[in-house]
Amino acid sequence: MSKNNQQKKRRLYELPPMNNQPCIEFSGNREVVIEGSRGVLEYSTDCIRVNTDGMVISLSGRGLNLRCISDSSLIIVGFITNVEFII
Amino acid sequence: MLLNLLRYLRGYVCFTVRGRYPERFINIALHNRLRLWSVERRDGEMTACMYMRDYRDIRRYARKSGVCLRVRDRKGLPMLLRRYSDRTGLIFGAAAFVITVFVMSLFIWSIDITGLDTISESEMRSLLRENGVSVGAFRPMIDDTGVSRSIMLSDRRVGWMAVNITGSYVSVEIKEESPSPKVESIVEPCNVKARRDGRIIRIDAEQGRTTLKEGSGVVTGQVVVSGVMDDQLGGVRLVHAKAVVLAETDYHTSFTIPKTVMTYHPTGEVKQRLTADVFGLKLPLTVGSVSTVDVLTDETAASPAPLDVTLPLSLFRRNLYAIELREVSLDDNSAKELLFKEARLYEVFTLSDCTVTKRDYHFTASDDGYTLSADYTCTEDIAVQEKIGTE
Repeated sequence: MSKNNQQKKRRLYELPPMNNQPCIEFSGNREVVIEGSRGVLEYSTDCIRVNTDGMVISLSGRGLNLRCISDSSLIIVGFITNVEFII
Repeated sequence: MLLNLLRYLRGYVCFTVRGRYPERFINIALHNRLRLWSVERRDGEMTACMYMRDYRDIRRYARKSGVCLRVRDRKGLPMLLRRYSDRTGLIFGAAAFVITVFVMSLFIWSIDITGLDTISESEMRSLLRENGVSVGAFRPMIDDTGVSRSIMLSDRRVGWMAVNITGSYVSVEIKEESPSPKVESIVEPCNVKARRDGRIIRIDAEQGRTTLKEGSGVVTGQVVVSGVMDDQLGGVRLVHAKAVVLAETDYHTSFTIPKTVMTYHPTGEVKQRLTADVFGLKLPLTVGSVSTVDVLTDETAASPAPLDVTLPLSLFRRNLYAIELREVSLDDNSAKELLFKEARLYEVFTLSDCTVTKRDYHFTASDDGYTLSADYTCTEDIAVQEKIGTE
């Protein structure tokens, strides 16, 4: 997702402006959508690490899979037990 | 769902990625705007799917990232078309099917008419056919509003009408015109007279002066209830006389039948004719004829209607029964039976407004034939209103 689109979405949902920050959306602990990713650093069924602007998001759990992935966003499904932001 | 359909239409490849750093391969692919989905890590290798067109360019990215790719499966419509590309008959068949469905949908398959009361359905179908709406008619040529307007103008019995075309199905809704009720004048001066000879049983007069008593005889045209009444000042006033005059009336009739009659008898020869009706075009399938000139026929039609959809196909089965005219000599019993049948029909149709209280039959046989004389005694309302004045 482009920066312009991110800004539009933030305005729509009345979110505070977050320059170059990723947008992360959880559905329980079974699915997470990350917008604004810059690449996958590590991918295994137990841990997925995603590079974003300024930080790395590390998700741990069981049976983690990438349902869909594009150049700027990805959907991770599985049983997520831990989320870590590495700055 | 929609995404899966799009993927199927575009065609996609499921492949396995083997190597030390499959993440690098993912990042390079994404950097080049290639879409991946169903990315799964299993037993040290990774599986994913991508569009068939994208997969053609991916080999060099795999080499760059040091992974080995192996195609697991190819899915989608392009693969299906490629698989059947050599079978031209199949492709032509599919094309012919699509064209047939398209062409068939341009014609009317069935017509449903609702709301008919006094007008018969065959009459309405004939009117619709005259206006271009029939099974097999070319749908784009039908002007539904014009048809309904034209029929409403031509037939005054149709009060309101709508022709709805849904695909190849026509539903016609009709509201028949209600006839205006006959308003009986209640102020016009009139007398009540007898329309038949008889003996009066009872007079129920709503208005007017009764001139006859119950039990007296009456002849046709005689005034029973007068519309001329005396008022308190010694003058007369004219009223609208109204009454029910129940009287006992007599009817006499006779029925005659010759000793020999000509009647039709089946010879036992039966032939069948089959006719197929395709879009209103009648095609004879079998031709059969009987040896006699006179024929009795009955016809049955069968129309297939799978899933309540009436198809424009019908099979008409017509049975032809050969009959011939034979001279039959009647004996007393069969003659009586025939004459009594006629007498019963006379009662039903001629004496329908009367209550028959007594019947006397007299059966005679002569050289000319048989005769049944019938005398009926009935009870009926013989009142008829006739206005006072000169023409």
